[in-house]
Amino acid sequence: MLELLLSGLVTYLERAVFLISKRVRPPKRVLRYLPLVGPAVLGAIAVPGILAPAGVFSLIETVPAVIGSVLGALAWRFTKQVVIGLLVGLGVWWGLIFALVQLGLR
Amino acid sequence: MTPETRSAVSAGIRESLLIVLGYIPFGLAAGAAMAQTSVSPVLSILTSPILFAGASQLVAIQVLGSGAGLALVVFSVAIINARHLLYSASLAPHLADWSRGQRMGAAFFLSDPVYALAISRFEREGGAGSRAAQIGYYFAVGLTGFVGWGALVTVGVLLGGFIPVWVPLELAIPLTFLLLLLPLIKDRAGLVAASVGGLGAFLAHGLPFGAGLMVGAVAGLIAGGIVLARTSEEPADA
Repeated sequence: MLELLLSGLVTYLERAVFLISKRVRPPKRVLRYLPLVGPAVLGAIAVPGILAPAGVFSLIETVPAVIGSVLGALAWRFTKQVVIGLLVGLGVWWGLIFALVQLGLR
Repeated sequence: MTPETRSAVSAGIRESLLIVLGYIPFGLAAGAAMAQTSVSPVLSILTSPILFAGASQLVAIQVLGSGAGLALVVFSVAIINARHLLYSASLAPHLADWSRGQRMGAAFFLSDPVYALAISRFEREGGAGSRAAQIGYYFAVGLTGFVGWGALVTVGVLLGGFIPVWVPLELAIPLTFLLLLLPLIKDRAGLVAASVGGLGAFLAHGLPFGAGLMVGAVAGLIAGGIVLARTSEEPADA
């Protein structure tokens, strides 16, 4: 239990460090680079899961996931709705997996 | 509550629920994996309210279950969750006029999806409305995710291996983050940061403690920063 509580405390401090006090602020020279945090970290979360869904990087796993994601992103671009992008992306991905299964490739 | 705030709160609940849906496979699988260790189910379930950060909960329980000492558990969690330092810095300017209590509460909920939703909304054109609307949105997202995630992990722990293999959903989480990331790319520097961050994390994904994510993120920040510094002569449009 103590391990968990301390882990929770450390996690909270990592989240709170720049939010608690207005005096603890990111260094001035860093401020203009902060808008890059979202793209860099979210990219680092998203891309590995798309290139290697379920942890496997191979033609048969990667190509359907990439095609689904690209079409999902395009659907978002036209509608600006995350849910539509998600449904299109997953739908295309499922369709391609189904097709590969039918062809006996999976 | 003004109509603006009410609409922000319901948007927060709606958008967060969508993310919780995408997290169903991961939440159940994480819970089931925790149930396989020697750690008690109650402790496994408690990781959600205490840590509220999926990957680190799983690792904490696995490291704990392997008999490792306190220092290694806390160290592993600290490394995996180091990206939250970046979220904290990134959100700080947007939360600058919130009260200290509100900012301390916000920090508690600052997980990956909450950050992604909040930053997408706060940085969109026209901003995110009044302070009350921003606060309403943020805490609606945070609380919905907190309750939803806790429920998923609990079900996963209790049902353990009884969860059937259903429709594949592994793509749901990365695709959601991709869609939340797209509106944040406003210039070439952002595009470079996302591409290098993503490819870097992919290439480094074998590193222990899930450090590949952080390696990729830092590489993306540096690459994007170089592009931004080179284009500093041009007027900023973001």
